[in-house]
Amino acid sequence: MTHHTPEAKKAKKLPRVGIYGLTGCAGDQLTIVNCEDQILDIFGCAEIRSFLMAMSNNVEEEMDVALVEGSVSSKGDLEMLQDIRKRAKVLIALGGCACNGGPQSGRALDNNWKERVKQVYGDAKFSIPESLEPKPLSAYVKVDLAVQGCPIDKWEFLRALGRLVKGDGPIPARYPVCVECKHNENECLLFKDQLCLGPVTNAGCNSACINDNVPCVGCRGAVAEANMAGEVEMLTKMKHPMYPDRARFSYDDVVNKAMMFGGMPMVELLEKSKGAKK
Amino acid sequence: MKEIKIEHLARVEGHGAITVEIEGKKVKDVRLEVLEGPRLFETITLGKLPSENLSIVPRICAICTLSHKYASLRGLEKCLDIKVPEKTRLLRSLMLHGEAVESHALHVCLLALPDLLGYPNAVAMTDKYAEYVVRGLTMKKFGNQVMETVSARATHGENPIIGGFGRFPTNDELYALKDQVAALIPMACSVIDLVGPMKFPSWLDEETQFACLNPVNKKEYGLVGDSILISDGEELDIEDYKKLTNERVVPHSYAKRSRYKDKPYTVGSIARINLLGDRLKGKAKGYYDRYTSVRWKRNPLFNNMAQAIELLYALEKIPVLVDKLVDMKDPAVVKPGRDAGKGTGGVEAPRGTLFHSYEIKGGRMSKVDIITPTAQNLEDIERYIRIAAQYMLDKGEKDEAIKKQLEIVARAYDPCVSCSAHLVSVVRK
Repeated sequence: MTHHTPEAKKAKKLPRVGIYGLTGCAGDQLTIVNCEDQILDIFGCAEIRSFLMAMSNNVEEEMDVALVEGSVSSKGDLEMLQDIRKRAKVLIALGGCACNGGPQSGRALDNNWKERVKQVYGDAKFSIPESLEPKPLSAYVKVDLAVQGCPIDKWEFLRALGRLVKGDGPIPARYPVCVECKHNENECLLFKDQLCLGPVTNAGCNSACINDNVPCVGCRGAVAEANMAGEVEMLTKMKHPMYPDRARFSYDDVVNKAMMFGGMPMVELLEKSKGAKK
Repeated sequence: MKEIKIEHLARVEGHGAITVEIEGKKVKDVRLEVLEGPRLFETITLGKLPSENLSIVPRICAICTLSHKYASLRGLEKCLDIKVPEKTRLLRSLMLHGEAVESHALHVCLLALPDLLGYPNAVAMTDKYAEYVVRGLTMKKFGNQVMETVSARATHGENPIIGGFGRFPTNDELYALKDQVAALIPMACSVIDLVGPMKFPSWLDEETQFACLNPVNKKEYGLVGDSILISDGEELDIEDYKKLTNERVVPHSYAKRSRYKDKPYTVGSIARINLLGDRLKGKAKGYYDRYTSVRWKRNPLFNNMAQAIELLYALEKIPVLVDKLVDMKDPAVVKPGRDAGKGTGGVEAPRGTLFHSYEIKGGRMSKVDIITPTAQNLEDIERYIRIAAQYMLDKGEKDEAIKKQLEIVARAYDPCVSCSAHLVSVVRK
């Protein structure tokens, strides 16, 4: 493993990479650690300067690429993100929390974060950084690339990293889960009257859930130009299986499900789709 | 007054920091600060469908994703009066054992071994101990494969649903798992053989209390139960989990704290091995008999060994489960018997006892309380950090050496800071 020695790295001038986590489940960093067959190559093809979840001897300096997972959910998160942005040439949002705000921004429509904090912790005073309503990275800094998913897909990540360390930009999938689902020849769950978010959700998961007869939960975030008005109309027109005079899903049912992982982009889409309805 | 501060606890999951306040030559205060922002998970799922709750709550933590899924299923199905057939139960057990392999292989071989062998990380270990890194990765990959086969993804798979599974794996898929185990068992043994003879410092020894779920089959070692076994001999029904956890808020953390009989307690591998270890079978029992001692009840550093023994236990258990599963027909998904009810479900996550307590009204989540293992361990982690800090001070060690030792103590618990951070209970008016 000579290519892992500091001398070899210096000679090759490997891109300097930092991997960071703000508030989240650490599932995107774990997905990197889950690349068991590639992890030694990852450490070989890039100079991993900081990866707190996996290493102790981290170096915090200028870097070529910063991979950041998690949402900004406290003032500490925000300071850390701003510092990373200053030091990184390219900043990549890794996973649903960083790209959209994650499930913790699932009540963003209610706009009552402070009230809910009180509900949970009472009037307790904290000596640690103040909490903020969870938001995606793009609410505060420029994000150069979003790698979607809850968690990110291992192969999509490896392809993106491979292209980045060679100096190319990654190619994001800009089509909905339905495309992959059709390739997999699954029977459409919408025909079975199920609340499936496939039509409005970013592909890249190989339609993992629908392959197992489970409707898409939308964990990869809203696809660009998603027709949310169409999705809402289609779902709210379905008839209830037991009471044909009733709708199977209400508008609120659709919103509840879409906001599980949709975060801030979904809030915008839902606002827009209301306009489209009128 | 002087302060020693470890700002970012490395090689753990999530954001934690340790602060030690020193006055003269005495440790005055120790704080394990959970810096993850609060996510208020329990308020997110209120008003949503039980199925939506089931998708959201595993996102509390990626490493314990299927433990959260299974604990949630057990709680929700109790509320909805669903009793699942044997095959569903066994397949869920399989996924939990896969998660134990994944999590323990990651922690023991890749996060803790560097401490025990004096390296900053697992990649650096490849100079002399490359085979252990590769074995760790191989076992971890297998654990992930078990989780993928059953849940559809290594992390946050959606195949386990209320009442059953979206799709049952085929027998070929199950045999593909069983076929790999024979090659993995010697790997787990080699890790135990490496760590077993190591000496752990006796200055850290101090008695504590332990708790874990008592497996449904009381003669077997296991990870699922309906009652809580405590080291003082008491056994609580899982619905009485609050008698164990007694949570309270502290100012330096968004995680709530737990104490039993006003004293800290420990959950996780070390608790399970101490309370249930004599029920182990096979090679795991052999190692249990060879290596456990009374000191396992006093020193958290033995948790790494307990995890290594459990890694072997889980590997030996997986073929047993597969053999039972392949002879059974795939059952249909069980429909809810009602749309309202209360219920608490628990499983043994890799890091310890995990509780999901719910109330459902009119088919919607009306009350959610989730208590994670790391949150229960925080008080004991602080206690042992204090002992270590005082010992190192008395010895006249420099700050850097003290910090390193304190991190090792904290890391032995395999703390999962993401899990502990959301830790809240909702009071509805």
